[in-house]
Amino acid sequence: MPASTSGAPSTDELSDEPAATSARATGRRGMRIYTGFIGAVAVAIALVPVFGSNYTKTFVLQALMSCALAASWNLISGFTGYVSFGHSAFFGIGAYATGIAIVRGGLPAPLAIIVAGISSATAGLLFGYPALRLRGPYFAVGMLGVAEAIRVGVTVAEPLTGGGKGLVLVPEDVLTVSYYAMFAVAIATVLVTYRVATLPVGLRLLAIREDEVAAELNGIQTTRLKIGAFAISALFAGLAGGIYAWQMSYIDPGTVFAGSLTVRAIAMTMLGGQGTVFGPVIGSVVLSGISEALWARFPFLHTALSGVLIIAIVLFLPGGITQILQDRGWLPRSRRL
Amino acid sequence: MVTLVQVVVSGLLLGGVYALLAGGLTLIFGVMRVINLAHGEFLMLGAYASFFLFARLGLNPILSLFLSMPLMFGVGWIAQRVLISRVVRAPLLTSLLLAYGVSLALTGGAQATFTNDFRSVPFLSGALNIGELAFSVPRLVACVTALVLTGAAQFFLSRTRWGKALRATAQSADVALACGIDIDRARMIAFGIATALAGAAGTLTSFLYTVYPEMGKTFMLKAFAVIVLGGMGSFPGAFLGALVLGVIESTASYVTTTQIAEAVIYITLLAMLLLRPQGFFGVKEA
Repeated sequence: MPASTSGAPSTDELSDEPAATSARATGRRGMRIYTGFIGAVAVAIALVPVFGSNYTKTFVLQALMSCALAASWNLISGFTGYVSFGHSAFFGIGAYATGIAIVRGGLPAPLAIIVAGISSATAGLLFGYPALRLRGPYFAVGMLGVAEAIRVGVTVAEPLTGGGKGLVLVPEDVLTVSYYAMFAVAIATVLVTYRVATLPVGLRLLAIREDEVAAELNGIQTTRLKIGAFAISALFAGLAGGIYAWQMSYIDPGTVFAGSLTVRAIAMTMLGGQGTVFGPVIGSVVLSGISEALWARFPFLHTALSGVLIIAIVLFLPGGITQILQDRGWLPRSRRL
Repeated sequence: MVTLVQVVVSGLLLGGVYALLAGGLTLIFGVMRVINLAHGEFLMLGAYASFFLFARLGLNPILSLFLSMPLMFGVGWIAQRVLISRVVRAPLLTSLLLAYGVSLALTGGAQATFTNDFRSVPFLSGALNIGELAFSVPRLVACVTALVLTGAAQFFLSRTRWGKALRATAQSADVALACGIDIDRARMIAFGIATALAGAAGTLTSFLYTVYPEMGKTFMLKAFAVIVLGGMGSFPGAFLGALVLGVIESTASYVTTTQIAEAVIYITLLAMLLLRPQGFFGVKEA
């Protein structure tokens, strides 16, 4: 299967001898370096609320949310190749489930966020069941339609959701708590990705991406797997949406169903490397940094920049940053079929 | 009864404009197997072109088509040559993501250059009364123009030499190449025509609706719904699908609200994708 979706162009296959050797030479010592590095980063992130200003906290919280969204998008789209243009739907459902549970149901926030996760995952099952029967591109645009339809539905259902005016939750200062909650969700998403990437189920998902018919002929229950991956992806997006709603204490359809959420998730994952464990993480760190640096000066350039970035990656670097790191032997190679 | 006829007729008038937009989208899909997610943004560019020509030079939007369509043809030609041609043979998702990138770049670029202000082109107004029925004049003019342009495109495709080359490329690029057809050029022509049609649809929508950088997204989704209804890659199918969708939209917005009507369109799209993905006229993919 062609370069762009398989994570590495075929020319690279022929010339990766030196990289492979150096990767092997890195060996166990390398693994220790990775573990140490990841641990150090995690400790640093955990310490931000202790030492950082509110600005730093908000910025890192945003980056963590992006990371959770990108990694959850990657779970379905990066691994199975079923690109979803409607990922924001699950973020929005999570946000509204939390909002409604708190405002109308009077639930405490942590419980409401769990409700958000369950609602999103259920929605994932519900929409995934018919939608994932569609072939790739039909699925992609179909999900765009799903996201829009849900946004309109939430706007219309005014007695429950507050309609276009939005929903005001109980305002309280929960920046630090929600920071750790978002951190936990981001870690959980990456850990699940790691498990998926290393267990046989990851290979089955990759098989769907490479050739779905062949995968099915080899006894892989493709529909069931796709729907499962989709529901888990929706679960994490919903949890992130729930925490977002709790922290902002105000949500409206335009913000939590914004297509730009999906755009960011796609751009970050592609920049980092789709179908890899660290791709979405690297991508969200790099892109969050860039956009924070550019945002103040050029507000609209953000969308255009994401667009140009996606074009450039599709054309010149289908494997993303991860591929560069792997070619240099700094990251272990991803599994391939 | 009169209301029903009125609703159906205004749906058909709307459908004419959708046909123009969807015709280009289905042409690109037919010839290149690429879903051009940037199609709505080409419509947006066309709308801005008419807006500025009207606001600065006072040029009649219908006349401005003679300027904007060749211009948009050029834009499409270049887009195909520089970007899309690199991914024509890649899997659909690659080209889908690329087109998505183009769409974002154009939207963001328009926001940065033209600002997010809503613009309108105050051109034509009033209604034409026939018996008890009233037809909005701008919609009538837009629909007639759209029909003329769609007809011209259909004539080009079915009666001219290059039209035949385009159809051959759509059927099988390899065989077309073996027969001595310059398929790269055929693709550039197809993309150019499709872009010009999208631009023209933009001109027509500029005096029917408001013009703003993100206007393309809804239209892109509607055009996609149209070509799913009509069968992906089928030009006559797109025409029929557009009329059907126009009537569905105007009926739904009469019975409920415009907002719900929008949701009805997306639900129609999903239902069609699930029940009959090959559409009215499309051939089921092997």
